[in-house]
Amino acid sequence: MSELEQRPTVGGLTRERRLMETFASLADTLVDDYDVVDLLQMLVDTCAELFDSTAAAILLADEHGELDVVASTSEASRLVELMQLSADAGPCIEAYQTGRMVSVADIRDAPEQWRRFRESALAAGFAAVDAIPMRLRTTVIGTLNLLRASPGALDPHDEVAARAFADVATIGILHERSLRESAVLAEQLQGALNSRVVIEQAKGVVAHTRGVSIDAAFQLLRDYARTNRMGISRVAAQIVNRSLDLDA
Amino acid sequence: MARSAFSAALEALERTAEAPEGYCRPFLDVLPVSGASVSTIGDLLGSETLAASDAQAARLDELQFDLGEGPCWDALRSGTHVLAPVLQEPGRARWPAFAAAVRDEPVSSMFAFPLIVGPLRIGAIDLYSESPGTLDGRHARQADAMAAVVSRHVLRRALNAVGRHDEDAGSGYSRRLIHQATGFVLAQLDLTAEDARLVIQGHAFAAERPMMAVAQDIIDGTIVFSRRSDGIEATG
Repeated sequence: MSELEQRPTVGGLTRERRLMETFASLADTLVDDYDVVDLLQMLVDTCAELFDSTAAAILLADEHGELDVVASTSEASRLVELMQLSADAGPCIEAYQTGRMVSVADIRDAPEQWRRFRESALAAGFAAVDAIPMRLRTTVIGTLNLLRASPGALDPHDEVAARAFADVATIGILHERSLRESAVLAEQLQGALNSRVVIEQAKGVVAHTRGVSIDAAFQLLRDYARTNRMGISRVAAQIVNRSLDLDA
Repeated sequence: MARSAFSAALEALERTAEAPEGYCRPFLDVLPVSGASVSTIGDLLGSETLAASDAQAARLDELQFDLGEGPCWDALRSGTHVLAPVLQEPGRARWPAFAAAVRDEPVSSMFAFPLIVGPLRIGAIDLYSESPGTLDGRHARQADAMAAVVSRHVLRRALNAVGRHDEDAGSGYSRRLIHQATGFVLAQLDLTAEDARLVIQGHAFAAERPMMAVAQDIIDGTIVFSRRSDGIEATG
């Protein structure tokens, strides 16, 4: 038997260290000139990894209060569509409207008015979901959603960390100076949503010019951004205005 | 004409999206012509004069509609501008009925510029001159650029009027598909994202299909827009 299996706390400690590292790199990110979509992408990836989740997604509300997926651990339509169902009638919209975390430890028990979400989630192999509001004082700007393959509540320690992630994401979207002014707040929120629009457009450009799938195109965008140390929103904007060609 | 006058005219056009009565003036400011008219022609948006700088310009439009011939029809069919510096002599062979109808009117030259958005040919701008003259290469290019701005305004207004604006896009997921399809089209036609989206919207309208369905076909490659020597076309 390995040491790790004998002493599960070691695994726990490692996890605490990963959490600390994540917060440290978040703090680094926030003081720099950062790309909001990159930040949110890092958060959902870290959530999935640390909280034993199969998938995670962040949705933000536009000026009409409509929620859109801005970052998700998978770009596959399965997850994006499921999140959209949750935003129509499901945990996501409830967390957004009430400003409170909504946990469904067993999706089979989800209420009838969430039937479309419930059936899609089960068909996609998800058994439990948590929707955490992203809140700044009284304003809710979106939700962080965690999906797990097996039923059961989120570990209480994980819940604390996940809420902290949601708060960091909120701060990341609304920089400090926006706190005073709601017009600027709406603008910055819209900025994050617009970045997502441009990323989708860039995926289309790359899928067409490279002859690859939409998902593969997203991976190419991420790889290019990472290799060249650029924010993914900037890479996407340059591809859409045709000043950058990944093939060149 | 100085470049700044052209820039000013182009900017003025960009600003007058919602007011067709402002579409003609910028052409008169930049080009050596007497009058201008803007009209939709064809099956997509019907044949209608949207704006005319004077009664003569309006009449030239009307005559062409009634006779089914004239520079605006040729511009629309060919997808490129048509210059007729001398309307009566060479023009009579090309448009016998139209040339005969305007023989006694103070119209020496006519120039027509098609209104085109991507693969959609939606109308034309007619310019006329009382005194004989032509448009040189630079004037023609400037008029082409101004016609492109008017084209987008006209299509957008028409789509809005029939309720085919962005609400059509539906849920967040279908919006995503439309953004992705916009990327395909802007790469296929070398357009801005805004124009590429308008192309999808216009194509959906022309085909009487939901925008989302057209977007899916673009992503799947069943609809492909391509630039060809004789203009832009959609296959699929």
